[in-house]
Amino acid sequence: MTYSGNKILRVGVVGLGKMGFMHASLLSVLPNLSLRVLCDKSWVIGNISKRLFSHSEMVNDIGKLEEDYLDAVFITTPIPSHFSVAKALYSQRITRNLFVEKTLASNFNEAKELCRLAEDSGGVNMVGYHKRFSVTFMRAKDLLDEEILGELDSFDAYGYSSDFSGVNTRSKMSGTRGGVLKDLGSHVVDLALWFFGDLQVDSANIESLNDKGSEDHVYFTAKRSDGLRGCFDISWCKKEYRMPEWGLTIRGAKGVLAVNDDELTLNLIEGDSRKWYRHDLNDNVAFLLGAPEYFREDESFIKSISGNNYITSTFRSAANVDYVIDQVYTQCGAGEN
Amino acid sequence: MNNNQPIILVGDNPFHGISHLSQERSRARDNAVRKIDHAADLVLISLENGANGFMFSVSETSLSILRSLSRRIGRQDLKLYAIVPYMYEYVRLATQIGGISGLARRMAKQIVLSANMQAVTSGMKGLIRMDPSALLEAYLFYEIARIKSSIRGQANLDSVMLHEVATEMLLALNLDWLAKSYIDFLMKLGIKPGFETRNFSYLVRKFTEWNIDFNTIFIAAPFNKAGFQMNPSRRECEKALKNLPTSCLIAFSILAAGYLKPPEAMQYIGSLPNLEGVAVGVSKKKHAHETFSLLKKKLVQCLPAHM
Repeated sequence: MTYSGNKILRVGVVGLGKMGFMHASLLSVLPNLSLRVLCDKSWVIGNISKRLFSHSEMVNDIGKLEEDYLDAVFITTPIPSHFSVAKALYSQRITRNLFVEKTLASNFNEAKELCRLAEDSGGVNMVGYHKRFSVTFMRAKDLLDEEILGELDSFDAYGYSSDFSGVNTRSKMSGTRGGVLKDLGSHVVDLALWFFGDLQVDSANIESLNDKGSEDHVYFTAKRSDGLRGCFDISWCKKEYRMPEWGLTIRGAKGVLAVNDDELTLNLIEGDSRKWYRHDLNDNVAFLLGAPEYFREDESFIKSISGNNYITSTFRSAANVDYVIDQVYTQCGAGEN
Repeated sequence: MNNNQPIILVGDNPFHGISHLSQERSRARDNAVRKIDHAADLVLISLENGANGFMFSVSETSLSILRSLSRRIGRQDLKLYAIVPYMYEYVRLATQIGGISGLARRMAKQIVLSANMQAVTSGMKGLIRMDPSALLEAYLFYEIARIKSSIRGQANLDSVMLHEVATEMLLALNLDWLAKSYIDFLMKLGIKPGFETRNFSYLVRKFTEWNIDFNTIFIAAPFNKAGFQMNPSRRECEKALKNLPTSCLIAFSILAAGYLKPPEAMQYIGSLPNLEGVAVGVSKKKHAHETFSLLKKKLVQCLPAHM
């Protein structure tokens, strides 16, 4: 189904945690869009939300929605429920266009099933890997596509935050967030797959720092079929990382490129070195909430439904992230976390 | 402008380890800036060199700085501009203790334990009626009491500003009734309400639609020559500023997080109409001295209203 540009798009959000509120707010400022329905199981959240989103219907069960009721749905529930919610929305034909916050599913098998359902629906699908919409990573992708580094040799990737630094007991949230690899690491895995294509994990280690059984630090190495090798270091116990940060240092025959959320540095063996900050890369958006990439992400999904845009962060590409994550768990003998 | 002195505020971002240019740069900074007494020193040096107020997010760090300041200053013309909520702390807490529901439970417990009867009563009312205005009032009572008990009467709480994320959500969801209830509540307490935003032109458009009197509020927004965080564009923000019926802007990010040199940044700021004041963070004593001396000189030179 393509959406005519003159029609008001009817959109729903399932799951009113912080990401749900953020997407619902951003959707409220996009043109030609009506935030028709919000869904959350919590009685308190539901009742407060009724007052804040007075023009939207509030439900506590997606089963209450009718066939073809919505043009698009955002799923922002905790990771373990992504599969069941998305499957229900597709199988009950409530919508054909789905946005799912990362990760797509809890494992690769579920992700494959969702890819199949999405393709059967014929709609637009997207996963919230918002770092693809960050100006520094977008510029890095352009430079790599121009083969500015020549033949690639190796890369180091990291995802760090202090979210669970100094937390002495295992938080129930660290589990529902899917562990550090899914919660934080999935973004940099997605960036690496976007930059380099398919990767195979060849060694991995998972470490518990806060409590027995918690997944707080993950280190793994991966390689591409042509020999490009990379290391990933992921931790949510890095005290000095006030905000979550992702970054890659990429080495090629012609030089080195280092990129993170704030800056991009290019050092060529022959030629000048250059550094770009967000300031240099036209980072402004029509409406800023949280970070500019969230607005670009939501706008991109909505435009794609009207056929005016091409999405790179699809269920298919996100399933590859779940595949890499599964490989890490397999290497560690951890199974699904 | 309500007096003959421009509002020149020292901001607290460096004390929390924030750099909007690069987190790497913030990590590389001398850790001394995060020590309470050193941060209080920086505020005092800034005050000696032209600043007349302190803008801060209400957190344990900034409240400790206020406690340190209260021991070191006599009652003087120090103005406090508080930003609530300290969103970073609450988002982090939500991450650790169970999302928004867990956070709401924790906040309710803290308010009850504070034994602040005004906050408790408003909170109960808000919960029974599921009324966001009453819940907001309860929260504001709680935060204002924390600020006042920290500074112990040694400075005036001139303004309480709504943090940008809360402001942007008000704007996005068209919550004019909540914005008005926030303004009315603070005005009754004799505190000027403020709104921090990174969507300045959008806010001006919405507040005009909602018939909010710009004379009664402050708007804190980024204004800088680089156009950094001036959404949707520097040009649109400048246009909205020019069309404001009164001066109510407190500009921040004037150095675009260190991307601009102070002289060029201040030249630009000095050229803006409807400017009520500026806020700048400093992380070194030398910077505090230089930046605020220069700011005071430039602002007095460039703003005829302040002559």
